[in-house]
Amino acid sequence: MSSLSARLLISVSVLLLVFFGVTIVVLDIAFREAAEQAQEDILDGHLMALIAAAEPIEEGVLGMPPDMPEPRFGNIGSGLYAEILDSNDVAIWRSRSVVGLEIPIGPSPDVGENLFQQEVLTDGTPLLTLSFALQWEFSDGELRPFVFKVAESLDSFNSQLGKFRRQLFGWFFAIAVIMMFSISFLMRRILRPLRQVETEISEIEEGNRSSLSDEYPTELRGVARNLNILIGSERARSDRYRLTLDNLAHSLKTPLAAIRALLNEHQKPGFEDRANEQIDRMNEIVRYQLRKPTAPAADKLGLVPVEVSTELDRLVDGLRKVYFEKNPAIDIEVDDSVRFRGDTGDFLELAGNLVDNACKWCDSTVSIRVTVAESATGKSGGMVMVVADDGPGIPPDAADALLQRGTRLDESTPGHGIGLAIVQDIARSYGGDLTIGRSALGGAEITVSI
Amino acid sequence: MRLLVIEDDATLRETLTNKLGDAGFAIEQAADGKEGLYFALEYPIDLAIIDIGLPEMSGLDIIREVRKQGKSYPILILTARDRWEDKVDGLDAGADDYVVKPFQFEEVIARVNALVRRSGGWASSIMTAGPVSLDLSRQEVKVNDVVIELTSYEYKIIEYLIVRAGQVISKTELTERLYDQDFERDSNVIEVFVGRLRKKLDPDNTIQPIETLRGRGYRFCLERNQSA
Repeated sequence: MSSLSARLLISVSVLLLVFFGVTIVVLDIAFREAAEQAQEDILDGHLMALIAAAEPIEEGVLGMPPDMPEPRFGNIGSGLYAEILDSNDVAIWRSRSVVGLEIPIGPSPDVGENLFQQEVLTDGTPLLTLSFALQWEFSDGELRPFVFKVAESLDSFNSQLGKFRRQLFGWFFAIAVIMMFSISFLMRRILRPLRQVETEISEIEEGNRSSLSDEYPTELRGVARNLNILIGSERARSDRYRLTLDNLAHSLKTPLAAIRALLNEHQKPGFEDRANEQIDRMNEIVRYQLRKPTAPAADKLGLVPVEVSTELDRLVDGLRKVYFEKNPAIDIEVDDSVRFRGDTGDFLELAGNLVDNACKWCDSTVSIRVTVAESATGKSGGMVMVVADDGPGIPPDAADALLQRGTRLDESTPGHGIGLAIVQDIARSYGGDLTIGRSALGGAEITVSI
Repeated sequence: MRLLVIEDDATLRETLTNKLGDAGFAIEQAADGKEGLYFALEYPIDLAIIDIGLPEMSGLDIIREVRKQGKSYPILILTARDRWEDKVDGLDAGADDYVVKPFQFEEVIARVNALVRRSGGWASSIMTAGPVSLDLSRQEVKVNDVVIELTSYEYKIIEYLIVRAGQVISKTELTERLYDQDFERDSNVIEVFVGRLRKKLDPDNTIQPIETLRGRGYRFCLERNQSA
């Protein structure tokens, strides 16, 4: 059941089935009861007319005039029957319609009572009978009990009921079919914008369209807008990747050309150093381009905060091994409330480059301080990392050159570290920056605020 | 010193083996992670150089397993991934240092030498004990600042003894460090080499640098001079 229309159609069918089912049953019961009541009233009327028409023909015997109030009594097999029974349940009079038939003798009611009963004629026709017991006062003043009985065939009643039911089912079925059709039609109409989204997206995939149109119903407008944002950011991302790849490929060509040129003079002294120089340069280019943050800061806002203290400890433990022989004193101070919302890899890249540089250049002491940014914008949650050492420090005029290494990689002279340029790029991608200063310890002090 | 090199790239592995062999190390090599782990656990190894990206089993897993099994020899990681995250993961797993590809072989050898010294508890690049000093990078032994001419086997033995100065080293342990692959377990050879070393280092029998402990092995017994 993956289709919305199918889901709706199935739900509606179940609902219709239940609703129509209950309605049909209720209507049927109501109609049946009303029809039965009407049938009984008619029989009651016939009975009253019969009693009114009856007159004693001799002492103790009741008879009927030949002209019956209801002509059907006089037609054989008309379906309307009457008889009068005496106290021994013997028929003393029968209507002409009974000729050739035997109306079953049911139980007699008490005097003055009506008794309705369903019976079956000898030929199988169902009957509704009404018996009424009375005491007839003859002219001699004697009261004799009689039972007046009228019966009507239920054939017509049943055929009426059947007709009613057929109509009922017919109409409901027609309504159900009409409803199903209108619902599928409506669904198609309602879901058309979704199909439009699908079409437009495949158009975007094929490159025939740059974004989703904005002619969507209110409910879908948000989806369309978010999809457009996603498509936009993906496009921007792939543009950035392409640019990175482009830069990478092109910037590698110069050293490759240099190496090829060098191959011609591999006999000359200094070949190895010059080749290594070019390889170092290529390595640096690759390192820088790979390290370049490829996502804008907006993409990073949703990330969970990095465990600054834990990650920093891991890093420093590792660096202590690497700088085992130099064994610098590394002093870490992390404010407990510091949060770095971003990628753990970015954080380690940032801290790793800074602390590694500090360990490399320091005389004996490195200090790492991580505090919460006293943000001017009022937004809390920023991070300030200050890494200082007691080494020779960075002269102010060299600082700019160091940070420029990344941006002008092609022209840069090979040598050590493009670490600071990488750190600056990462910091900027998080909307922060890097500053180079002189520390109280005597060496360089790098401050990264994010 | 017996080194294990686990690297899947054949060119790199062969070159490393040759260069490190030239630098005076005996080398075991493995081309994939599983073989590497087997060597790392079963062979007498003094230091392992492990590539992180290996077939069968990653270098990180090998390092974790080696450390879990209680092996404490130094481990140098070779890796093409030079993100700090990867470096920290490697060091965290139990490695002692890393070299990022593409590297220069001189750098690898320098790191290996530093790790070897470190594993013997030496802090400076030239190990000095009394009048004797050892320079791993030059494979040179001096007594009273005079370079002693040694054969490569003699050098390997004295290097091992000096790096582990103060520890008792059994003949078996020395034999294992002496030869590549098919080492001959004839301890008499060791005795001959030690005898020659004594003559060369101490012709007048005045400093007595190597002590014999009967039935247990040898010990370089001069006091370390850590300030040098």
